[in-house]
Amino acid sequence: MSGLGWGVEPLWEGLRAGRSAIGPFDRFDHRLHRTHVAAEAGEAPEDLARIPGWDRLSVADRFAVAAAVEAVRQAGLTLPFDERLAGEVGVFFGSSTGGMWEAEGFFGSFLNARRRARLRRLASHQVNAPGDALARHLGVTGPVSTVSSACASGALALGAALDAVRSGTVEVALAGGSDSLCQLTYAGFNALRSVDESPCRPFRAGRAGLSIGEGAAVLVLEPLQRALDRGAAPLALLAGAGASCDAHHMTAPDPSGAGAAAALEAALRDAGLDPAEIDFVNAHGTGTPLNDAAEWNALQRVFGARAAELPVTATKALLGHLLGSAGAIEAVATVLCLRHGELHPVPSGEPPVSGETAETDPVPVALVLDRPLPLPSARAAVSTSLAFGGSNAALVFSRWIASNGAA
Amino acid sequence: MSRPILLTGLGTVGAYGCGAESLRRTLAAADPASQLAEVDRSAGYHRTHGARRAFLLGSTRLGEWLTAGEARRMSPPSKLAVAAARMALRCAGLADGEFEATSVSLATAFGPSSASEALLKQILCEGPESTSPFYFTESVANAPAAQIAILCRARGPSVTVCQREAGQLIALGQAAGDVAAGKVPRALAGVVEEMTPLLHALLDRFGALAEEVARPFDRRRDGFVAAEGATLVVLEPEETALARGGRPLARVLAWGSAFDPTAPRTGWGSGPGQLGRALRRSLERAGLEIGAIDRIVSGASGSVDGDRLEAAFLRAAWGDRPLPPVLVPKATVGEYGGGFLGAAVLAAAGAPFGPTPGFAEPDPELGIIPYDGAALPPPSIVLVTSLAAGGAAAWLVLGAPGS
Repeated sequence: MSGLGWGVEPLWEGLRAGRSAIGPFDRFDHRLHRTHVAAEAGEAPEDLARIPGWDRLSVADRFAVAAAVEAVRQAGLTLPFDERLAGEVGVFFGSSTGGMWEAEGFFGSFLNARRRARLRRLASHQVNAPGDALARHLGVTGPVSTVSSACASGALALGAALDAVRSGTVEVALAGGSDSLCQLTYAGFNALRSVDESPCRPFRAGRAGLSIGEGAAVLVLEPLQRALDRGAAPLALLAGAGASCDAHHMTAPDPSGAGAAAALEAALRDAGLDPAEIDFVNAHGTGTPLNDAAEWNALQRVFGARAAELPVTATKALLGHLLGSAGAIEAVATVLCLRHGELHPVPSGEPPVSGETAETDPVPVALVLDRPLPLPSARAAVSTSLAFGGSNAALVFSRWIASNGAA
Repeated sequence: MSRPILLTGLGTVGAYGCGAESLRRTLAAADPASQLAEVDRSAGYHRTHGARRAFLLGSTRLGEWLTAGEARRMSPPSKLAVAAARMALRCAGLADGEFEATSVSLATAFGPSSASEALLKQILCEGPESTSPFYFTESVANAPAAQIAILCRARGPSVTVCQREAGQLIALGQAAGDVAAGKVPRALAGVVEEMTPLLHALLDRFGALAEEVARPFDRRRDGFVAAEGATLVVLEPEETALARGGRPLARVLAWGSAFDPTAPRTGWGSGPGQLGRALRRSLERAGLEIGAIDRIVSGASGSVDGDRLEAAFLRAAWGDRPLPPVLVPKATVGEYGGGFLGAAVLAAAGAPFGPTPGFAEPDPELGIIPYDGAALPPPSIVLVTSLAAGGAAAWLVLGAPGS
């Protein structure tokens, strides 16, 4: 779920149409902030609001529970989980700020007038709260862990889930992330002058920063044979995961792209794929001048001359930056692109950087523009996540093709 | 573990001072009162009554481990984490240039609290235009891990785990798994926490803190004593560690985690049976017999409900068998801050512990008598447990260095 709606269907419809969720928002009074756009989620559908305890959940917790319920249903798993799965279902989650928005309400009262603050608003404050909330709601008894490595959290969580499934630690992993809009991140990124006053324009000549969004995504991972044995229809294969650290700067990426390239190469090695076998990239693509330039350098390091031709999409152009859940929802977008055989577009009023301007702003990626790019034969794709502190993660997905040739 | 993983370096900083030797002396003396400090209540965050003391760093100097220029660019938890990382690397005998592909896996329960508090004050009280880029950068949970990576030039994966009291064992377990799988040649793993007056006051308002001292497993227990500090360890494959002359402190034999969905968001649950079964299952998968465990380093902290669940969890796992000696280091070093993790490593390395402070009256409901200080042979296999508020649980199995 995201600013495009609650559920996979509105997500894909919006992405395919190139519809941006970034615009004016109401979560908090932003008149005193430097910028005034974000990708805010709408009200939850009524059926979700009937979930027991829904009112006590933070916004980020609700996102997580909603996404998990949809993912589990979509995977054809029954709830409560079969007793044979006791201890065999795990949650691997990412979040950057957890219930910070609710905590801001508490701190606003507490810092000004100690006794009037309601302690209950802090109950979901911690970043592990969304992952715990979905585990509690679904009755998960296996491992539950939350990664909070800023904007790489969601992708790192998926990597941890992949490890757990491969090693047999769990039979089923619910992996993803959740974050909600809050003043702390909105003001913080603005203080760094990293937020575009307009909706973000990844890889474009006039790009001036990111747009903040909110939402959650959850993917159900299980060993292929287990899924086939129970009659499930795999959506895609999570073929590999890789991670690295720039060890360069707290907020700026290594401009050479070496760190991001190392994560990409590790993911490809893990997947057993050659760079030539990758058909498209779902880039981190925040729209900040430094990130997009470093990412382009990383793509060149990994894909060589092919980097300029490799189709690239940037989901953040439409959903904003979902921070701790960005890697998770972009994984979902990548899977949807593979399944539908087309790459979602990244429309913008401004042209992409052309060869002529390469000297001043050299990010000439082959960005998918105003309409979906048909890629019916695409077999594999990568999704990248590059975070504060230089934490990088990459995921490789490949298309599931049944033995009878059906995708 | 798919191949033997050694723990070759330990760095720790806390109210006990800097370094493993300081922690070792503190655990042997088992005199927490000498380490406790009054929490600054001048901001008015605290209730009139309630907990007043914590294990704080106070005047502990990090100058040997950080330059003034480095320290200026870091929040308190980042400083603690970097200092502990450098101690661990030195302890492991690693020199500059040997860290290149090292991963960093760090846990924190609450993140950089002072930076977050300063940032929220700016945004909520002074207005968003007052927001400091420094505080924002250092408020993110992974700032300490990132600072370690930058200053130690560790370019392997950088992961920050937030899972309350269970996070430290999850971070170490996942890092050990990555080393065992050959994903990284070496890992720095551990935990960091700072204990600000605001965080202390909030824990107290949630009813989590002991009024005076922690009394794990005691009938009179009324909460834990909060602590700050950091502990990091170096993990390496046995063959590469021994080849370079590394000295093992302990072996990582297995780890695991589970979740108790009966737990409320800020408390402990009532599902010890399934947690016990999960522990047994992970031991079986690692080819370990529960009867071979000859020491437990329990995460019991003095929490009324947490210790009840811990006791029932251990009882469920052991069944009718008698429990091996149960060490409870949080009685000496407090909850959070890494003293517990450091104590677990030292226990596996055979360090002597004093009798469990604060314990005098057994709780018949719990039925656990923590270690009384009697002479014990060094352990062969140590189980380390940590159950978290909110439902998470994790455990780690360490082998003695020569096992």
